[in-house]
Amino acid sequence: MNRRHFMQATSAATLAALMGNEPRMLAASTGVKPVPAKADCMILLWMAGGMAQTETFDPKAYTAYEPGLPSDRVLSTFKPIDTVVDNIKLSEGLEEMAKIMDRGTLVRSHRVGDLGFILHSRHQYHWHTGYAPPQSVACPHMGSWIARMLGPRNPDIPAFIDVGQNLEIGAESDSLKAFHTSGFVGSEHSPFMITDPRDAIATTRPSELLGAARFENRYKKYKELVEASTVGQYGGSFQKESLVRSLDNAHRLLSSSAAKAFDLNLEPKEVYDAYDTGKFGLGCLLARRLAEAGARFIEVTTEYIPFRYWDTHENGHLRQKDLKRMIDRPIARLIRDLEERGLLDRTLVVIASEFGRDMMVEGKPGLAVKEQVKQPTIMTDIKHYGMHRHFTEASSVVMFGGGTPKGKLYGETADERPCRIVKDAVSIEDLHATIYQTMGIAPDAGLEIEKRPFYVTKDGKGKPVAGLTSGV
Amino acid sequence: MTRYWTLACFAATLPLGAVDFATEVHPILSAKCMPCHSGSNPQAMLSFASRATAVKGGTSGPSFLPGNPAQSLLLKRINGEGGLAMMPPGGSPLKEADIEKLRRWIEEGANWPDTSAKPVSTWNPPLEPRRPAVPSSTASNPIDRFLNAYWEQRKIDPPKPVSDSQFARRVYYDIWGIPPTPDQLKYFDASNDLDKRPKLIRELLANSDLYTGHWISFWNDLLRNDIGVVYHGERKPITGWLQQSLKANKPYRTMVNELLNPTRKEDPEGFLVGVNWRGDINASQTPFMQASQNTAQIFLGINLKCASCHDSFINKYLLSQAYGLAAYFTDQDQLELVRCDMKTGKMVKANFLYPELASGKRIPSKLADRRKTAAEMFTHPRNGRTTRTIVNRYWQKLIGRGLVEPVDEMDNEPWNADLLDWLAADFDDHDQNLQYLIEQIMTSIAYQAPTAGPQTAEYVFRGPSPRRITAEQFADTASAVTGQWPTIVDGSEARYVRDWQLKSSPLTRSLGRPIRDQVYTTRQDQATTFQALELANGGTLGRMLRRGARNLLSQQAPPPPNLVDTKALRRGAFRFDIEIAGLEKLWLLAEDAGSYDQEKSVVGWTDIEFVDASGIAKPLHEVFPEFSASLMTVNKEKTQKGYPMELGSSRVLNLKGKGFTGIRGWFVVDDASLQSDIGTSVRFFLFGTEPDRDQLIRVVGNGPVSAPTLLAGKIPSEATRMLYQALLSRDPNPVELERASALASNGGQAITTAGLEDLLWSLLLHPEFQYLP
Repeated sequence: MNRRHFMQATSAATLAALMGNEPRMLAASTGVKPVPAKADCMILLWMAGGMAQTETFDPKAYTAYEPGLPSDRVLSTFKPIDTVVDNIKLSEGLEEMAKIMDRGTLVRSHRVGDLGFILHSRHQYHWHTGYAPPQSVACPHMGSWIARMLGPRNPDIPAFIDVGQNLEIGAESDSLKAFHTSGFVGSEHSPFMITDPRDAIATTRPSELLGAARFENRYKKYKELVEASTVGQYGGSFQKESLVRSLDNAHRLLSSSAAKAFDLNLEPKEVYDAYDTGKFGLGCLLARRLAEAGARFIEVTTEYIPFRYWDTHENGHLRQKDLKRMIDRPIARLIRDLEERGLLDRTLVVIASEFGRDMMVEGKPGLAVKEQVKQPTIMTDIKHYGMHRHFTEASSVVMFGGGTPKGKLYGETADERPCRIVKDAVSIEDLHATIYQTMGIAPDAGLEIEKRPFYVTKDGKGKPVAGLTSGV
Repeated sequence: MTRYWTLACFAATLPLGAVDFATEVHPILSAKCMPCHSGSNPQAMLSFASRATAVKGGTSGPSFLPGNPAQSLLLKRINGEGGLAMMPPGGSPLKEADIEKLRRWIEEGANWPDTSAKPVSTWNPPLEPRRPAVPSSTASNPIDRFLNAYWEQRKIDPPKPVSDSQFARRVYYDIWGIPPTPDQLKYFDASNDLDKRPKLIRELLANSDLYTGHWISFWNDLLRNDIGVVYHGERKPITGWLQQSLKANKPYRTMVNELLNPTRKEDPEGFLVGVNWRGDINASQTPFMQASQNTAQIFLGINLKCASCHDSFINKYLLSQAYGLAAYFTDQDQLELVRCDMKTGKMVKANFLYPELASGKRIPSKLADRRKTAAEMFTHPRNGRTTRTIVNRYWQKLIGRGLVEPVDEMDNEPWNADLLDWLAADFDDHDQNLQYLIEQIMTSIAYQAPTAGPQTAEYVFRGPSPRRITAEQFADTASAVTGQWPTIVDGSEARYVRDWQLKSSPLTRSLGRPIRDQVYTTRQDQATTFQALELANGGTLGRMLRRGARNLLSQQAPPPPNLVDTKALRRGAFRFDIEIAGLEKLWLLAEDAGSYDQEKSVVGWTDIEFVDASGIAKPLHEVFPEFSASLMTVNKEKTQKGYPMELGSSRVLNLKGKGFTGIRGWFVVDDASLQSDIGTSVRFFLFGTEPDRDQLIRVVGNGPVSAPTLLAGKIPSEATRMLYQALLSRDPNPVELERASALASNGGQAITTAGLEDLLWSLLLHPEFQYLP
């Protein structure tokens, strides 16, 4: 019994429980019933910055650009294209995605929170934790909830791995840090941050400052020094053991064969190139490798940096072309690869964004909030042509695997501005409930913090959306 | 702009779906049943304090059977069925809708979070201060007298104090946040003064800079203050006030007063402002509700978080009390109660959690006066709760576990009520002097006893609980021992700082430094795998140790000063014109200073000229043909003599033998960088000697403590001994000496940089270092 364990059962969590400061699982008497898991692993593909739904998964009437064109006449700046599913059209530029829409469900009616004056990081916080800040307790990231409730799938691989987001981005850094955290569930369930998938292997290998041989030597000498200490009672033996054990775990990860999962150079060149549309594309490849190796929850983000990527405040049309090029091939390939390896059935893949975009409406129709983008009434420059305002009424979500119905379109938005949801709106709570249930976690499962119950979906009230799980 | 919204609770408005106990059932029970059926002596022996007591029922049997509404006595009684009087007697009968909710709730299995199933305590926490008599004994410190009586009663032998060096290690860490130097330790050990322990405590407290540099982290956690955190909403740091208050050792009463009733410009207005993100806010998190929750938690040890949404079912506090306290901190005369984001139409005026302190006083109509009134009640001489709460926090901080636990639930019973009450009263009698409180605790056996092992089920005090050093203590120790302090940039200069003055890093977050969106009164101190990874492999510590080892071995040249520093340049041009006579080389650096998109940033220098002694100027590309001039546009002006550079790149220009005496020109950001999604920010530097990449900006001033004794030239065993003293406050034993010396010298005769890094690392991760003795 000398099995390697990334997170040994008797490590920090148990110790903390002994000490009485670890949040307690809500007891069975709360009515929380175990639900059967349909997936063991989840990959969240995060379109950071607000993905324009009418330019991607919910195309509307196309109007070509010409100088003098009134802004309010434009709903989509690309033509719709056919997909393998008769009633699903996507926007031009998603040709590879079009071929795999028969594998999953497209939700066009995701309605995110109405938080007033738009702040990307705040909406992202809301989406990732289920709670809008500020909150009186530190809310855990979805990945931390899942890591806490389900534990690691492979003890050598961190349960929650977050790929692609640099947290040191200047202006909104603090807000990103505020939800890239395990919050009150304890730091053992924190995200393992990999800023750039191309450097992933470096995070699981002894630092370049040291090199492997010196790392080994240092670790060995360290243990010899600790053994030689005659001062036994400092901190008590359980603290000492726990500290040394945590180092053992880190050492194991840094010298484990499982760390190979982090090494993209082990992929055949053809495969690497197929995914390589930059950081995000390679992030999808890394996610596939980690899913195969046994990670529990992987988020790959296009990265949030104010005014970049999906945060298109100007030049929307031209930038959408690049953005779609960035995501189309790698996501489609990821789905096919998972399917080919027989993993898709037990891996839930979700594409989502903090809100949609529109050329005219900031916020929700009828609940417009303070404008942040100057959009002229009449366009005079191609840079005016695009979806530049933050639209919280509707956004698109795509789900694959884990029992998600195949080739299904769920929900509908109007074909005329303001393109409201006209059918089957799905709130964050209900979408999360669907996700948690698929992973085998009841929507009203939770932990007790400061004696108070705190649930995976807001107040435990998320209701799984039947149409997204039953295959009907 | 902020607007406050209210949202319907969906489950409460939809006819289908499970009934929610917290928001739908408990409010009914608490309003209609619990006034009589709860507490230690409930009517008819029926209590709705928990699911178990309710199901068990009273003298008439079970009040309901989960899943079987038809058989439920509760429903019969509230419906007035079976010939018995309708419940509740006297009050208005339940509404049909409420009865239906209860019926469905029972039918669905009577889901009831077990949070209220706690042992019923008979403890009734006092409000008034109390001055219990100090038991008589030979001990001089009154805390010792209380403890001696406590131990005698339990037939426990009083512990002996720890050794001088262990004591010194504790007090240095607990007052300055760094360990004693080998010299300080030697001096203390050697002293024969019988009063040397209290004298050391006072001496350390007297250094207000180092004391503040340690204790400010406790206050930052407590008051939700952080360095430079912006949420694009309202949040105001109170760092300056906090530093000043700690340095001046303001009475606690004064601090509370200034926090609750900020009137002057220098007062900490940000505390009541709270943490606000741009946009709309949930009804329970408006600034005045945050103020209500925070003031109750921080100053009184009362958790109003539940009661901010609905009458709490984990403690006795009510929605109306949370709003009543909030009403002291808003300009509205009265507040509408919002239960779970639903407006109730009920209004409350300001009312204090302890109405007896407010009795007879009118509620002032102006906000400024209401705040003043609140401050008076929190600091009222008859309010013993405020002083009990803070002395308990200090006890926990210094001893590892509070007299009352958790420290934020001061309604719980202390393990020694007399001691707590005496400490609080004594603190009050000494002008609420926080340093006096520290001294009082540190001079007692409670603080000086050896660390006690794991506790049994019922807590018995035998000595301090194990305490792990904090993230800040860890980082500051590494700096103090190696002499390499971090710096922060202030305009064109940098200065040395302690870790608390920096934003949190992956290293300090992994070691437990919280994101201070909430009040933190205890740190997570578990050893986790992530933390170990960061310690074993993270860049922050690795670089810190490399520089530290080089410094200790005198291999780290002082960073050369720059010749030009443009500071962060986001647009336009920066003119420079400097002397370079005698320089052999010129180093040019274009550092990124936070651009959104480095690749699209266009920066460079334009119209660069070298000047010789005779005053003749030559353009850059004539002197260095590898620079080719091209068109750049700056502030809409074009120049053909632009020299673009990649952001993050550097160049070395060889000047030897060229005879130039000056160089002049502009550093620029090209107009092409001005699009919103590029957001260029660049900082250019020129150096005449090879720059230190980690220290481009000139540092002024000294480190927080004097530099450590360097190890250059020391034999390995001597260096090892010094490091053991510096980091573990003791000498190595012979085995350790041999192993550690071999590590530091890589088995050779002299210390190597790598060996020293390895030894520093091994000692910083030593359990004996990580936990206080």
